[in-house]
Amino acid sequence: MGVTCVSQMPVAEGKSVQQTVELLTRKLEMLGAEKQGTFCVDCETYHTAASTLGSQGQAGKLMYVMHNSEYPLSCFALFENGPCLVADTNFDVLMVKLKGFFQSAKASKIETRGTRYQYCDFLVKVGTVTMGPSARGISVEVEYGPCVVASDCWSLLLEFLQSFLGSHTPGAPAVFGNRHDAVYSPADTMVQYMELFNKIRKQQQVIETRKPNQ
Amino acid sequence: MADVLSVGVNLEAFAQAISAIQALRSSVSRVFDCLKDGMRNKETLEGREKAFIAHFQDNLHSVNRDLNELERLSNLVGKPSENHPLHNSGLLSLDPVQDKTPLYSQLLQAYKWSNKLQYHAGLASGLLNQQSLKRSANQMGVSAKRRPKAQPTTLVLPPQYVDDVISRIDRMFPEMTIHLSRPNGTSAMLLVTLGKVLKVIVVMRSLFIDRTIVKGYNENVHTEDGKLDIWSKSNYQVFQKVTDHATTALLHYQLPQMPDVVVRSFMTWLRSYIKLFQAPCQRCGKFLQDGLPPTWRDFRTLEAFHDTCRQ
Repeated sequence: MGVTCVSQMPVAEGKSVQQTVELLTRKLEMLGAEKQGTFCVDCETYHTAASTLGSQGQAGKLMYVMHNSEYPLSCFALFENGPCLVADTNFDVLMVKLKGFFQSAKASKIETRGTRYQYCDFLVKVGTVTMGPSARGISVEVEYGPCVVASDCWSLLLEFLQSFLGSHTPGAPAVFGNRHDAVYSPADTMVQYMELFNKIRKQQQVIETRKPNQ
Repeated sequence: MADVLSVGVNLEAFAQAISAIQALRSSVSRVFDCLKDGMRNKETLEGREKAFIAHFQDNLHSVNRDLNELERLSNLVGKPSENHPLHNSGLLSLDPVQDKTPLYSQLLQAYKWSNKLQYHAGLASGLLNQQSLKRSANQMGVSAKRRPKAQPTTLVLPPQYVDDVISRIDRMFPEMTIHLSRPNGTSAMLLVTLGKVLKVIVVMRSLFIDRTIVKGYNENVHTEDGKLDIWSKSNYQVFQKVTDHATTALLHYQLPQMPDVVVRSFMTWLRSYIKLFQAPCQRCGKFLQDGLPPTWRDFRTLEAFHDTCRQ
């Protein structure tokens, strides 16, 4: 698992999500990247059941259960600022059994699907983020295989991102700052995806609350 | 009468002998013509007989004369020399059917070509010997008889000495750890781990470095049996490139008499890769060139360059 950077690409002016994705993939192909199949990352939200909250009335914590097609036999479970658990796919079945403690939030499944591209040692995944039937945004993930320490290769990744994202290049992800000289792990990638999905959900909520005012 | 060819054949006499043969032939045919014609018509039988006999005798005399001339000339012609300078291949040149079996001309061409090849090969070996490619301490050009029977001392070193040298180098650099093992006989196999950047497998022959393979930090360097995998290449292009550079380096650092200095310089060069992903290229200033970071390290200054940017 190499160092990965997940970012969001804003939809181009006057274009649909699909058209922007097409623009990006064309730029990648011009760079010399090869298409290598598809990928999918999805996320379901659970919140702690009311019965377990106790008398203190603490707010229920949100738990995210995520899958990544890059690791087909694994399942990731993480809290917002908390630890990330890496389990095998039987964890989904376990969640069914834990219905009493964790309840699935309504209409919370969010996923991103798209194509994988390989350029030299870089793995680029451009996906459309969908919630239900509608497309909500574009996710771009770049993984640099050979390097495992995040702080080492950020400049290198940045240069590569600039070559095809242009002005939409993101800043350094928060996870990079947290762990100096620690080996990068897939859990860090899932944390980045979780933050991205939350951001897109918030954007959607902002749009929905704005509409009645207009 | 002497001719240019050293074959020993007298060409003028040869030509004269051929015309003598023609003269002989014509005189013999004149004899038979005379006999065929028979006696001429004359007044008396005696006259006719005398004329016939005289004519017949003239013809026979001319035949005799021509034959003597031919014999004289044939003695002058001489024999072609017995020793063929080309031996059996010279007989090939006598083949008259040149179109279908041009053996002789092809043979000559092949011979000229092989002569030229030998000459050029001699020149090339003279030039190449100026640059010694052998890394052992043997003298160049010493013939087999004069070369001492024992192997040069630097190739036969006690394994304990090799272990000592390696452990000393291990302690030299804090970010580099060297693990030595001998799974296949007396050749040492080193597993060098450089920080969290890469792993290098170095196969040695006493204190000479034979082969290196560079792999990523997260790649598996052991086979399924648990032994060190010294053959499979890295999955990443950047480390495949660094492996090529490391092979160049182990050929560059050569000092047959002091192999431990060589190993030390090689490890110092290798250590400069700790900043493989952080250092930009000194020439173009960028990080990536065709998707690769600067993988070349200069042998003297240890500066980072892209493979295409190095001088």
